[in-house]
Amino acid sequence: MTASRLGRPPITGGWRRGRQPFTGQGRRAVAFILAVFAVTSVAAVGLSALATVRAQHRAVVIEVAARQRTLAERYMNDVLLTRDGQRADPKGTARLLQLSGQALLDGGTAPGVDGDDDRTTVAAAQGATVRRQLQQALHLIEDLIATGEAFGRHQPTAGLKLTAGEHSLPADPETRLRVLATLTSNVSLNAARTIAANADRQLAMLVRLQVLLGALGLLGSLLLAWLLVAATRRQSAHFRSLVHASNDLVVILTEQAHCLYTSPSVTRMVGRDAPNLIGPGFRGQVHADDISKLLTLASSFDCDEPPPLRFRLRAGVGWRELEATVTDLRQDRHVQGIVLNGRDVTERVALEEQLHHQAFHDSLTGLANRALFRDRLDHALARAARGGHTVAVLIADLDEFKQVNDTLGHDLGDRLLATVADRLAIITRSGDTVARLGGDEFAIILEDTDEGLARAVAERIVTETAVPVRLASRELVVGASVGVAVADHPGTSGEDLIRHADVAMYAAKHGGRNRFEMFHPELARHAGELLGLQHEIHVGLQKGEFVMYYQPEVDLAGGAILGVEALMRWASPTRGLVGPLAFIPAAESTAAIVALGEFALFSACAQTAQWQDQGLLPDVFTTWVNVSAKQLTAGGIRRTVEAALTAAGLPPTRLGVELTETSLVADNAGFENACHELEELHQMGIRIAIDDFGTGFSSLSHLTRFPVDALKVDRSFVSGIEHHSKNAVIAANIITLAHALGLAAIAEGIETPEQLAELQNLHCDMAQGFLFARPTPAHEVTALLATPTPNPFGFPHLIGVP
Amino acid sequence: MWGGREVAMGVKGAVILVAVSVMLAGSSCGGPSAPRRESTVKVSLRDFRLTVTPARVPAGWVSMDLSNEGPDTHEMIIVRTAAGDGRLPLRLDGITADEDALAARKVDSADTVLPGTRRTLRVHLEPGRYEVFCNMAGHYRAGMHTELVVVVPS
Repeated sequence: MTASRLGRPPITGGWRRGRQPFTGQGRRAVAFILAVFAVTSVAAVGLSALATVRAQHRAVVIEVAARQRTLAERYMNDVLLTRDGQRADPKGTARLLQLSGQALLDGGTAPGVDGDDDRTTVAAAQGATVRRQLQQALHLIEDLIATGEAFGRHQPTAGLKLTAGEHSLPADPETRLRVLATLTSNVSLNAARTIAANADRQLAMLVRLQVLLGALGLLGSLLLAWLLVAATRRQSAHFRSLVHASNDLVVILTEQAHCLYTSPSVTRMVGRDAPNLIGPGFRGQVHADDISKLLTLASSFDCDEPPPLRFRLRAGVGWRELEATVTDLRQDRHVQGIVLNGRDVTERVALEEQLHHQAFHDSLTGLANRALFRDRLDHALARAARGGHTVAVLIADLDEFKQVNDTLGHDLGDRLLATVADRLAIITRSGDTVARLGGDEFAIILEDTDEGLARAVAERIVTETAVPVRLASRELVVGASVGVAVADHPGTSGEDLIRHADVAMYAAKHGGRNRFEMFHPELARHAGELLGLQHEIHVGLQKGEFVMYYQPEVDLAGGAILGVEALMRWASPTRGLVGPLAFIPAAESTAAIVALGEFALFSACAQTAQWQDQGLLPDVFTTWVNVSAKQLTAGGIRRTVEAALTAAGLPPTRLGVELTETSLVADNAGFENACHELEELHQMGIRIAIDDFGTGFSSLSHLTRFPVDALKVDRSFVSGIEHHSKNAVIAANIITLAHALGLAAIAEGIETPEQLAELQNLHCDMAQGFLFARPTPAHEVTALLATPTPNPFGFPHLIGVP
Repeated sequence: MWGGREVAMGVKGAVILVAVSVMLAGSSCGGPSAPRRESTVKVSLRDFRLTVTPARVPAGWVSMDLSNEGPDTHEMIIVRTAAGDGRLPLRLDGITADEDALAARKVDSADTVLPGTRRTLRVHLEPGRYEVFCNMAGHYRAGMHTELVVVVPS
C-alpha cells in the first residue's frame, strides 16, 4: 500500500536524499565501517593466536634441537663409557636421538630425556629448506650411530659408508665420533635456528599486520565515532531547526502545570526568555480562567483521544488564543511530561466571532438583525410564558426615509439610519433588543413590560426620531411610524406578534405618520381590507372596470383646448366610481400598477386617435398620460408607448407623458434605463412634462438632464395666486423658470377667473381646472371639442361633473 | 693489510659500496690509485664440501660469489696460509679451526650463509696461497675447506 493511499503525502526523493538526517548512505557507511572494524578485530585476534602458536612452536623446536645436542653428546659419552667397559646405554640414547630427530622433521612427540627434559610434542617442520636440514640431521645421526657402534665394538670406522656428505673425516675414530656428534648437534641447532628465523620473520610480519590492523581499527573507530557524532549533531540540528523555525508552539508541562520546556515560538510570542517560563513562570502567563484547564490535563487522558485544549497566553499587553493538542508523554523517559502542541488561533477566533456577529447583526447599525431578533423574541416569549411577564414588540418605520435616500444619496441615508439606531438604543433598556429588520424598519422587543410602558416607549421613539438630525450641514427631519403589539395572552407566537406590530405600524402610517398605533383586532380588519382592495383591483382590471376620464387643458392666450390630461377612474361595482388616490397606492404595492399604466396608455391613445379621425383636434394637441415611477423603473415604457401608438394609429406628437419629480430621482433602480427610454420617446416626438413641479424633492438640475417639454404648476401654488401670497411667488417663478428653459408652463387646479387673470398676467401657457372643465368621460370631451368656442374664456363652466 | 667489505647483491648498492671501499682503501694506505682488473671466484658451499672455481686467480680485487647449496647453514672464512700446507691450527677440541690464532692471517669472512642463499664478498688478495673454509662446528673437519692460489697478474 502506498503512502498516498494511506492518506499521507508521498515522501519525495528530494526529502529522502536531502533532508533525512541519518539514513541511506550514512547508515551504509556506518555498517561498512563496523564490518571493517569487526573483520580487523577478528583478524587481529586470529593473528595474535597464530603468533602465539608460532612463538610456542619456535620455543619447542629450539628446546628439542637443544635436546638433540645433549643427546648427541650423551651418546658419544655412552659410547666412550661402554668402550671403557663402563655401564652406559648408547643404544637407548641413539634411539632417543633418532626419535627426537624424526619428531622434529615430521612432527610428533619428542621423547623425554632423563634428568633433563619431559616429552614434548612438536609440529611437523614446514618448508623445504628446513626439512632438508632436518633430514641432513637424521643422516648425521645415522652416521653417528653407525660410527659409535663400530667404535664401541672396537671395529674400524674409516670404512663405514657415510650418508651426510662428510668426507676426509679424521682417521682417529674417537675424533671422528666427536666430529660427527658435533655435526649432529650443529646441524640440528642450525635447523632450529632456521625454524626460529622463519618463525621470527613470520612473527615480525604478524606483528606488522597486527599493528596495521590495529591502526585500521583505530581509524575505523574514529571514523565511526565521527560519523555517529556528526549524524547525531545533524539529526538534533535538524529537529532543533524544525522546532525553532516552526510557528507551532510546543510546551511540555508537569501535572502541576510547571513548565519543562518551551519552544522558541512560545518565547517569541510571550516576549520573555525561556528561563522565565521554565518552572512555575509559565503559569503566570496563562489567563487566570484557563489555569484550571492546565491543572486538569492529566485527567483528560482517561478518554481515548483528549480534545484540543484552548487557552489564552499573555503576549505583551494582550492575550493570544491558543489551541493545542495534548499528548501524554509522562512515561517517555526522554520527555517525562505532558506535551502541548499548539497553534495561535487568535485571528481565527476573532474572525469566527466576527462572522457570528455578522450573521446576527446588522453591519450598518450594529443592531441585531432579523434572525437574531426572531431568536430573541422566541426566547423572550418562552421566558414570559414561564414567568408570567408580558412581552411587547414595537416596529418603527421611518417616514420619508426613502426620499432622503433617493435625493441625498445612500451614504447620508446610512448615516441617518445609524443615528436613529443610536437613539433607539438610548431609549430602550439594556435588556431589551433593538433590531434593524431591513431598510428603514426597526423593531424592538420589550421584555417584562406592560401596555403602558410599551406605549411610553413608542411615544418616545416618535418624539426622538422627530428631532432633526444634522448631517453634512443639513437638518434632516424624519419621523417614525410605530406599531406596538403586546403579547397579553399566553400562546401568542413571535410571528403573530411581529405581524400585529406591522399592522399597527401601517395603521400609524396611514393615520398620518409620525405617530404610533397600538395593535387591536380592528386594525387587523383594516389590513384585511387592503388585501381585499388589491384583489378587487386585480379582478376589476380583468373585468374592464377601469375607465379613462379626460380633463381639458386650455391655451391661456387663445382659449383653445390644446390638450387633455388622461385620468383613471375605477367604476367598481361595490365601491362606485373611485378616484386614483383611493386605489393607486394599493395598486403600487402589486404588479397591478404596471397593468393599470398600460391600460391608461392604450385607452388614451385609442381615444385621441378617435378624436383625430373625427377631425376634432387642432394641429397642436396633446393627450397627457400619467406614468408612475414604478412603471418607469420597471422598464419597457418605450415598447408599451410604441405598441399603444401603433395599436391606435396615433402619431407620437399627439402623446405626452407626465412624470412626478420623485420618479426622476437618480439612484432609483432602473433609473439609467428609464432615462434612456425617455430620451428615445422624446426623439420619437412624444412630449414630456413634470407633474406637480415644486412639491417633491426634485433638483433643478434634473431639468437639464431630461428631455422635458413642460412643467405643470401644482394646484397648491395656483390656489391663492390671486392674493399674491407666497404661493403666487413660487408659481410665478416656476412659470418664469419654464420659460427661461424654453419649456411650457401648465397650471393645474385653476378654479376662479381671478386665478385665470393672474396666470395670464404671468404668461402661463396653459391651464386646467374646474374653471374650464372637471375630468369627464371621453364622450363629453368629444362634445366639447366639437363645440366651437367663440369666447373661450366665457365658458363658465361648461361641463360639470363634480 | 687490505681489508674487504661484505657487499649485498643489489647492483646499485654494490656500485656505491665499491666506491666507498676504494676511497677507504685509498685513505688508509695511500696506495694504488689506478683501478685494477677484478676476478671472480665462485664459492660453492654444501654439506660438507667447499669448492672454489677457479682455484687460481690473479692478485688484486677478487669478487667471491658464495652459494650455499645446503642442506645446512654454512659460513666462509678466507685466511692466507704461510707454508702452503692446508692444515690450520685447531682449537683444543680438535674439531674447529682456531680463529684467534688465525686472526692475523684472516682476509675476510662471511658468517651464517643460510641454505639456498647467495652472497658476494669482495676481497683484495695479494699473491700467495689461501685457505677457504667453513668453521661451523665440525664442518671443517668433515671436509669443508679448499685452497685458493693467488698469482701475480701477468
